[in-house]
Amino acid sequence: MSLEGFEVAVVGAGPAGSAAAITLAREGVQVLLVERGSFPGAKNVFGGRIYSYALKRLMRERWKEAPIERFIRKEAITFMASENTFGVEFEVKDPTLSFTAIRAKFDKWLAGEAEKAGASLINDSRIDDLIIEKGQVKGIVAGQDKIPTDTVIACDGTTTAMARKAGLAGNLEPQAISMGMKDVIELPSEKIEERLGLDPGEGAANVFVGSPTGGLRGGGFLYTNQDSLALGMVVGADDVSMEKVPSHSLMEKLRAHPRIKRLTKEGVSVEYDAHMIPEAGPEMLSRPYTGGLLVAGDAAGHLLNNGYTFRGVDMAIVAGIAAAETFLEARKRKDFSAASLQSYEKKLREEPSLRDMFTFKRVPGYLRNKRLYGLYPEIICSAAEAVYRVDGTSKKKIFNELRGNTKGRISTLTLIRDLLAGARTF
Amino acid sequence: MSKEAKTLTLDQRLALLNFNKDPEPFIVVDTQLCHSCEKKPCLYICPAQVYTWQDHLNYNTEGCLETGACLVVCHSLGAKAIQWKYPSGGKGVTFRHG
Repeated sequence: MSLEGFEVAVVGAGPAGSAAAITLAREGVQVLLVERGSFPGAKNVFGGRIYSYALKRLMRERWKEAPIERFIRKEAITFMASENTFGVEFEVKDPTLSFTAIRAKFDKWLAGEAEKAGASLINDSRIDDLIIEKGQVKGIVAGQDKIPTDTVIACDGTTTAMARKAGLAGNLEPQAISMGMKDVIELPSEKIEERLGLDPGEGAANVFVGSPTGGLRGGGFLYTNQDSLALGMVVGADDVSMEKVPSHSLMEKLRAHPRIKRLTKEGVSVEYDAHMIPEAGPEMLSRPYTGGLLVAGDAAGHLLNNGYTFRGVDMAIVAGIAAAETFLEARKRKDFSAASLQSYEKKLREEPSLRDMFTFKRVPGYLRNKRLYGLYPEIICSAAEAVYRVDGTSKKKIFNELRGNTKGRISTLTLIRDLLAGARTF
Repeated sequence: MSKEAKTLTLDQRLALLNFNKDPEPFIVVDTQLCHSCEKKPCLYICPAQVYTWQDHLNYNTEGCLETGACLVVCHSLGAKAIQWKYPSGGKGVTFRHG
């Protein structure tokens, strides 16, 4: 393949990159989509869920052709102490609003759609550098090959060598990232449905907070695929307690919890995955563009963890579309300078689906409170134990049971302060 | 046979993955610097335990899951000893269920 004549190089064939490539190719732009894995998705890991609206926006009525595992019917959060748990479950009205997926299938499919639209996909290619002339990005460098383009769209993930080389980001700091790990556990689909109380084709998303993280800042998750469970954990990378609870020990800790044992029994582990998450969001880049360069997806911190919803793929798709639209406007002006591309940032800020990133920007600060991961789940579980346990001893009224459970563990003032801060943050 | 899902060691977990070894080293550590490193955060952050300590720093990149977190913690909390880039195109780990 000749590597001349491309107007845009998209680095990384994940959801942001493929969304950008699809949008551009449909408008007749010559697009090169470059992937370092041996196929799109080969290097990608996520929790497990994609919110449908973004895919609908990109693929219109064809969105359901995506390799969807299960539509999410049940949302649950479970607080865990070492031997008991307290959970809240919500069954949604419309399960088609989100679905579970496997990235090796989903990303491959989406990149295939980019190819069908006319983009050229090259796998097995690591991009080593950018061509930069007088502060303007003019293309990409892969080994000995220099590929000149009008604009580069960097969708190269959390580590984003591209944004760094263009001077948009300094070194990543540990407080800006989380470490995610997951086990994929095969289980027959009828078992999954029976165990979680699901109809065929429908799935569950469960968040776990408490003892399995060993007090580390973070939590666990469970998503149901068609024939497997995606069970994982995410912990803050700067947590000093990690010395005692190293991340490579965490999955086994989660798997040892009695509740998780019941959910995973008879399951067969088929994969162990890990991924670094750019928790700090859009603030990680000084700006998401420069002359000849637009940055989208994890590379630009386009994701959201507000403690109860975890979003990434939908935001990546929306940002990828916005990057492509920005290029299309610049192309009309034949001007790919930073001044011409700056409308990208405005597009991102004004996009309703991305606004949550800014609405919830104080959440990461709130979630640094370690009481949320150790003390509070324990109090919740021991209070529930006190309320529900009937063992022949006499019981107090509920309020007094609750009070008894916080006494000596936390001052009322601290508790109220945490609650108020939470109300302001969420 | 017990109906409980089997517990797994880290080695067993890593054995579930396909690795296509990169003949070119993509992680290089100046292990002399590690002797002066107090926290040694790479030992704890890496989900694949690429880094171990036995009198000096050992590292085995064959189980590397390419998160890049070692570089982040080494440069911020450690001795700035790790040089890291992704393996060459098509090399390294392949996730089939990510």
